[in-house]
Amino acid sequence: MKILIADDEPLARERLLHIIKEINCDYQLIEAGNGLEAIEQVNQEEPDIVLMDIRMPGMSGLEATHHLVASENPPAIIFTTAYDEYALQAFESQAVDYLLKPIRKERLEKALGNCSKLNKLQLEQLGKQNQEIAYRTHISAQIRGTILLIPIKDIYCFLADHKYITIKYNKQNEVAETIIEDTLKSLEEEFESIFLRIHRNALIRKDKIEALQKQDDGRVLLKLKGLSDGFEVSRRHLSSVRKLMKA
Amino acid sequence: MKNDPTPHTVEQIKNNMEQNSLFLPDFCSLRMVFSVVIIGELLAFILTLAPLRMDQQLWSDLALISLFIQWNGLMCSSALCLLRPVFKHYSNQFVAVSSYLVLLLMITFLSELTFYIAEKYQVTETLSFASHWEFLIHNLLIGGIISALALHYFYIQHQWRIKIQSESCTKLQLLQARIRPHFLFNSMNTIASLTRTRPEVAEHITEDLAELFRMLFREDHEMIPWSKELTLSEHYINIEKQRLDQRLSITWDVDLIPNDAMIPALILQPLLENAIFHGIEPEIEGGRIVVKGEFENNRIVITVQNSNSKNLVHRQGNKMALANIEERLKVHFQGKASIICQDKNDEYFAIVSMPYQTINST
Repeated sequence: MKILIADDEPLARERLLHIIKEINCDYQLIEAGNGLEAIEQVNQEEPDIVLMDIRMPGMSGLEATHHLVASENPPAIIFTTAYDEYALQAFESQAVDYLLKPIRKERLEKALGNCSKLNKLQLEQLGKQNQEIAYRTHISAQIRGTILLIPIKDIYCFLADHKYITIKYNKQNEVAETIIEDTLKSLEEEFESIFLRIHRNALIRKDKIEALQKQDDGRVLLKLKGLSDGFEVSRRHLSSVRKLMKA
Repeated sequence: MKNDPTPHTVEQIKNNMEQNSLFLPDFCSLRMVFSVVIIGELLAFILTLAPLRMDQQLWSDLALISLFIQWNGLMCSSALCLLRPVFKHYSNQFVAVSSYLVLLLMITFLSELTFYIAEKYQVTETLSFASHWEFLIHNLLIGGIISALALHYFYIQHQWRIKIQSESCTKLQLLQARIRPHFLFNSMNTIASLTRTRPEVAEHITEDLAELFRMLFREDHEMIPWSKELTLSEHYINIEKQRLDQRLSITWDVDLIPNDAMIPALILQPLLENAIFHGIEPEIEGGRIVVKGEFENNRIVITVQNSNSKNLVHRQGNKMALANIEERLKVHFQGKASIICQDKNDEYFAIVSMPYQTINST
């Protein structure tokens, strides 16, 4: 069995390594220092179980889990935490496996023995009660069985097209596109502080707004910094765009 | 970013509690109805026995008086029960006055009704009241006194409940304002890990933790010399350094502050805790904290500076800590000390300024 230990504190990882070795020295152990590394390791090493710390820098354990569970063959996940009152309530109510640090050997042994895979419903419930740590810093896309992560700060816009959403983002100073399955409505709700709805089919990054251009045919186009093409602003959303640009 | 709806200072918590609770108990509840019936019956006994008599009429009088009182009591309860949703939106003073008036009105109405029925069926003699007015005024006097006593009792009981609630709430909030529970459990985990590999470091960390908590559990109003405060802060940083490793770097530039300067205990530690929480923990690479001390014009200025997290969404912090420091500075220096927080070019500054006092000058 292969186990991934994701925790930002070296000493916390070290302790888990020792204890798991004591439980069964045949277990193969790998480590990750934050949520991003955890996903990378899952992509490369395909562990069976992830021991996931909830609070980690860069990307929280809850968010990493969110991306992992959406993948084709996700590992089983056991959360670890030192103290999170809201998270604990959520875990209890969703019957999700979690361990409290400092973790007891017997408790860990039991958890490793009968861990089950999380489902999306459980995760959504966890996210609702932990807005701060569940906040996504990345959007994940599934590409050939691995998870591609796009940092929110690199995204220009979300464009809806039938069932799919096209993301335009900055990839090493070039504009790249990728497609995900989601709805603009849920993205709008989740990222309302960062993105603004300008049309039935478009959410754009607020701090990338450059200028509004009126076309000859009466349509209004919005220009974004770093992107050459303009985005149509519907009449319904024009006032909220103007208000934002004034502020 | 979402606004944090939770109250941050003890005062706010107390205000919230007072505003949100109605002093009148819920008269719709079975328990209240039962108490009203019992109290009504006791009153009926008192009224019947009060003239100090023992005759044939006693029991029938008791029955009549009970009937009248129970009727009054239950009707008044149901009036208060129905008015409860309306009362919720008003202040307790308003509710007290208006519920008293409602009760008096109710008693007047029921007395009039009773008198009307008695006259109609010509049983006024059995009521042993000479005139209509005498009957009404007697009832209003008795009802008015009993209602006033009851309302007063409910008010006192409500005040007492608020006091108990706010006391327990305040104590917990105050402790949490001074230290995050997270810190304790993370430190325990660090110690558990170090015990295996580096027991001598584990020993030191345990000592640091013990000293920190010894100070935390002391009374709030204590002043300690700067040298002591500095040592405590160093203990705290020692513990966090084990946990965060390379990610935490700190520069101390505090030699200018005189060692004998008296300051409120644990003013610096919560500021360091905040700096770690907002500036270091959210970043993969960690960050840097600069603590700077200045001594000018007989004043001490301590600045804690940390780099702001580059995350688009900031962590929701523990604003209680700052409010608590502010309150303590106010108590110790009577307005002559201050704490200012500034956000400047991705750097966050918390600046505490206070007059220089030694143990002799306080």
